[in-house]
Amino acid sequence: MATKILIDTDPGVDDTMAILLALRSPELEVVGLTSIFGNTSVEVTAQNALRLVELEGHDSLPVAKGASRPLARPLRQPGTHVHGEDGMGGTHPPPPHGKLLPMPAAQFIVEMVRFHPGEITLVPLGPLTNIALAVLLEPGIVSLVKEVVLMGGSAYARGNATPAAEANICNDPHAASIVFRAGWPLTMVGLDVTTQTVMTPEYLDDLGKAGNPATELIHKITPHYQAYFDQFYGMKGSIHTHDPSAVACVIDPSIFGTESMPVYVETEGRCAGETVPDRRRQWLDEPPVKVCLGVDSTRLLALIKERLTS
Amino acid sequence: MRRFWIDTDTASDDAVAILMALRWPGVRVEGISVISGNVPVEMAGKNARYTVELCEAETPVYLGMPAPLLRKPSYAYFFHGPDGMGGMNYPEPERPFAAGHAVDALTRAIRELSGELELVTLGPLTNLAAAFRLAPDLPKKIRQCTIMGGAAATLGNITPAAEFNIWVDPEAASIVFHSGMPILMVGWENCRGEANLDEADRDLVRSFGTKYADFTLDCNATATQTNQEWLGDPGLALPDPVTMAVALDPEVCTRRSSHFVDVETQSELTRGMTVVDELGVLKQPPNAEVCWSIDPARWKEALYKVLR
Repeated sequence: MATKILIDTDPGVDDTMAILLALRSPELEVVGLTSIFGNTSVEVTAQNALRLVELEGHDSLPVAKGASRPLARPLRQPGTHVHGEDGMGGTHPPPPHGKLLPMPAAQFIVEMVRFHPGEITLVPLGPLTNIALAVLLEPGIVSLVKEVVLMGGSAYARGNATPAAEANICNDPHAASIVFRAGWPLTMVGLDVTTQTVMTPEYLDDLGKAGNPATELIHKITPHYQAYFDQFYGMKGSIHTHDPSAVACVIDPSIFGTESMPVYVETEGRCAGETVPDRRRQWLDEPPVKVCLGVDSTRLLALIKERLTS
Repeated sequence: MRRFWIDTDTASDDAVAILMALRWPGVRVEGISVISGNVPVEMAGKNARYTVELCEAETPVYLGMPAPLLRKPSYAYFFHGPDGMGGMNYPEPERPFAAGHAVDALTRAIRELSGELELVTLGPLTNLAAAFRLAPDLPKKIRQCTIMGGAAATLGNITPAAEFNIWVDPEAASIVFHSGMPILMVGWENCRGEANLDEADRDLVRSFGTKYADFTLDCNATATQTNQEWLGDPGLALPDPVTMAVALDPEVCTRRSSHFVDVETQSELTRGMTVVDELGVLKQPPNAEVCWSIDPARWKEALYKVLR
């Protein structure tokens, strides 16, 4: 039976790849999308989420709009320099036809989890504000969620949004702290693995050649993203594989090597958003989470290509 | 008809404030949302429902957030007694909680009565903060919010710098104070000393011989004693009813002015301090009105009016 997943997302170029990967994978049943600020504003990411479900013909899939800002800290600069003002690499696709659910994302998450007790895997691909709000509203959902597999954080690879912090955690460290401490089964798919898997220009060209709506969209929106990676990391057209890694980790966890350890999220000061692995368990107050430290990049890239081009 | 909503961590003084609103002519209380604060949220809800039944009202009581946004809960049993009601151990009310989450119910009420609803908050501000994060359109739809909380004169009770409601969930208070809704802050310093019911006042209340008068004194027995022992402040302090009196009868507040008010969330020493920029040195636009003083006789008259 397919794994029910609820994707919380700020699309976003790599979110787009991840959502399309999920929608095109028979192992997964996407039960809804919830949007969040991050790569761009929540208004835009909500529209993009609608666009993506329509692109794949899942017009009836529910999409709920989420938080427009972090729980307690001020809103940071959005990631529009990476993803474009429209979160779609500046390509400004036509508006979606569908409507957003008339309830906030956190409430939708609570209702879905309660409706499918023990069955839902939450897959957060952006800042964790919606997930934290859901836990705050109804702490009981923690024991009803099957697991959380999130893209975010960095155990040993340092940060990207700041020298200390990965962008999703940095955007709302308080929310991340709530989610990491909740006590549910949680897998952190962070920069330790996502930066090890590189999509080259040749790989991206191959995707584009498939000529289906999914790969055509990816082909259109990726150049802006590639330009950022070149400017910031000198990657000459290659990109890291962030959000698709988290979805792939739900499809086939064997692609990743994990280690269980507590992860402390710093919430204050210059290092806010840092995810500190407590491998030797010197701090005893955090529950352990699974941290992805190794990845079979060849298999991961093959899986993504197979699903997107088929 | 004025439309009210009460957000409360119902213990003894909250209960009297609820009673005042329910019995005040020309006011309809649309709903009561309970919050973790003086006591755990379920206990607060029981106390609120008991109070509603005592008043022979049918106001829906909604269960709210079980804990502060980022902090562990801190209760005030020491002040209000083990049941929050002076150890009176009132029976379980007959009517259950209204269906749905308090944050959702509050959100719907604010939207349905856009521009009309007046909020009175008597506890930590977690429900409001959660609602505002979930629905950013809410603050501009609220007519007025009267907050029992803070200490404009830095006269704290739970610490020297902070009043309990703000101290319990300073992050929520910060969200609420910066939300842009019209706020009147009734700080704790207005609710002590001359505002307290002294022995003669309490004798007068007892002489009314009504169930409301007896309830007010009985459920606040622990509070009366603790106020003396803990703060050296003789008499029965009723911060929530004072605040409710200001909301019901604005003339109870005798001096008010608008300022930039910020809430300390980082420090341990001054956690939850409400920093009022009285002289405007920060050059920030005002975000709250501060009640600096009240007319004790007028507040007590408001109370007596509903207890008689």
